[in-house]
Amino acid sequence: MPSTDRNIDKEEYWKIIHIPDKAPIPPHLQPTVNAYATVINPKHANTLIRRLNKIFPLEDLRHVKRICKKCVEGNVQLLVILCLASDGSDQSENIPSEMVELIKSYQLSTFITKVSKYAATSKEEWEEQCKLWPTSYHPPTYNIDGITGFSEENSQSVCEFMKLAIDLAKSVDGQIVNAAVIVNPASNQVVARSCDQVFSQNNPSRNSAGEGYLEPCKLTSSSISNGLQTYTNSSSNSSFNEQKRTYGGVSCLHPWQWAEQQSQASCFRHPFHHAAMVAIENSAARDRYLFPASEHIVDKCWQAEVMDSPSTVSPSKKQKTETKVEDSGIQNSEHNACGSMPVRPYLCTGYDIYLVWEPCIMCAMALVHQRIKRIFYAFPNHNAGALGSLHRLQGEKSLNHHYAVFRVFLPESILDRDDVVTAVSGSDKNKTHVL
Amino acid sequence: MEACETEEIIYIDECMKLALEQANLALNNLEVPVGCVIIEDEKVIAAGRNRTNETRNATRHAEMEAIDILLEQWQRNGLSKADIAKRFSKCTLYVTCEPCIMCAAALSILGIKEVYYGCANDKFGGCGSILALHTSESGGSTRDEVSQGRGFKCTGGIMAPEAISLFRSFYEQGNPNAPKPHRPLAPSI
Ligand SMILES: [Zn+2]
Ligand SMILES: [Zn+2]
Repeated sequence: MPSTDRNIDKEEYWKIIHIPDKAPIPPHLQPTVNAYATVINPKHANTLIRRLNKIFPLEDLRHVKRICKKCVEGNVQLLVILCLASDGSDQSENIPSEMVELIKSYQLSTFITKVSKYAATSKEEWEEQCKLWPTSYHPPTYNIDGITGFSEENSQSVCEFMKLAIDLAKSVDGQIVNAAVIVNPASNQVVARSCDQVFSQNNPSRNSAGEGYLEPCKLTSSSISNGLQTYTNSSSNSSFNEQKRTYGGVSCLHPWQWAEQQSQASCFRHPFHHAAMVAIENSAARDRYLFPASEHIVDKCWQAEVMDSPSTVSPSKKQKTETKVEDSGIQNSEHNACGSMPVRPYLCTGYDIYLVWEPCIMCAMALVHQRIKRIFYAFPNHNAGALGSLHRLQGEKSLNHHYAVFRVFLPESILDRDDVVTAVSGSDKNKTHVL
Repeated sequence: MEACETEEIIYIDECMKLALEQANLALNNLEVPVGCVIIEDEKVIAAGRNRTNETRNATRHAEMEAIDILLEQWQRNGLSKADIAKRFSKCTLYVTCEPCIMCAAALSILGIKEVYYGCANDKFGGCGSILALHTSESGGSTRDEVSQGRGFKCTGGIMAPEAISLFRSFYEQGNPNAPKPHRPLAPSI
């Protein structure tokens, strides 16, 4: 087993994990603050709480419960938080005078307790917090699908598209590269896909999928369990992945290497043509093609591109296959109610991107600019990753757009060249064309 | 010495004026008004302006446009990868607004020598405002990576009021579908 896999149970593979905006803290190491608390007479509870909330509201500690019950030797005690205490040793000095009066008038004896400084972001954190002092917990209420979990159906299609990305990453002769697939989740349509193109790859003979957007294909729910099965078999008898791999061909892992690589069989194309950047351009080209605007003469460059890349007009893709969509409920969201006039999308609003590796900062920011809704990646990028490894762009509050980030756990052995995991070819017969 | 410094300031402003002309060109094309020029050996070798609306590709920032012009040209002229890297390492970029996080990362990947910018970019800035990607420590891991992130010298605040006033005109212009303003086109390079 490769070292990176050691900690992952096989059961975990294909699991989809949300990568949060903030770096996770182990639940028991959450920051706390000190507060004055006291035992109160239940008869005074209502009046006291009202007064306390007035003279000392817990503004920054809304998640902390003001009052809590505690069972001491069979007797129920009511405890309340009076106010915050400083961490310093001289405690009597920093109780506000109004509070001192209150303490006197009710003859309260105070003690110091620790409360959690921030609201819990997970159930685990919340459970740990309540050991100190009860808090309330509100599961995240983002309106982005998946953050609170994926349905069976949704996680199936997530895995299918990730498989497509991995297939692309292995489709280039010579080495493993990063790959990107942009998907409209409303219709399960592939909007664009690409591999790294910092170097032009040695004539990708077995695929023409390196670039292109003309071919929005609908993936069928071909069995994921098949893929899983294949993986399990190959991993159990693979001994050649003992050594740590560096994946020199993956642009986002080695963004600065373009100038240095000495023995590059393929020729240099563009230092910024990481898979995500090319996929963005492919989706933009598709947009320009499908929705030509009269004001701008922009299609020239697109045409030039098509001329240059025979792969996008390969016969296999020209073939239009009529597809019967069994589920008529799945409608191309790009088409309006009439079904004839497509509605032009704004950039990649509402779209997902599947990347084999966590993107570098350039790619991650490009995906913010292009308004991607969700990012799924399989492998973390410890060299230059911007979605949790080195930076955490999804947590940069100043940005005008925020996507949700997910990791799909996969074994490294899925990248083995002869490990055929995808069932994408099976979906060829179901290809649909929007043209 | 002082005369020398003044001369340099005038030179920097002159370069930034060319970038501002590009930004103005963007404004006239209903694009977010950011422009840039790339200078090598005191010669303007490329210019670029924002084209995100026209291309529907929100990554087509001025910097990317200018860099692509050079890459295409140099590759057409048969320059090797090493030659190209060497040329960029001698280039200075003048851009009217602080490079965004994406462009700052790209400039580091490219290995550009130096950047002068106009106004700061409070939302996306990658040269100090939000992230500081121009400092060499920020990129790449400290592990046994062969290639580390490259820093570049970066100076902000060059003719910032002029850059900001272009932004103001853009936002006052409001609706991007509004009729094109018929102002005289700034001469392009
Ligand atoms: Zn990248
Ligand atoms: Zn930029």
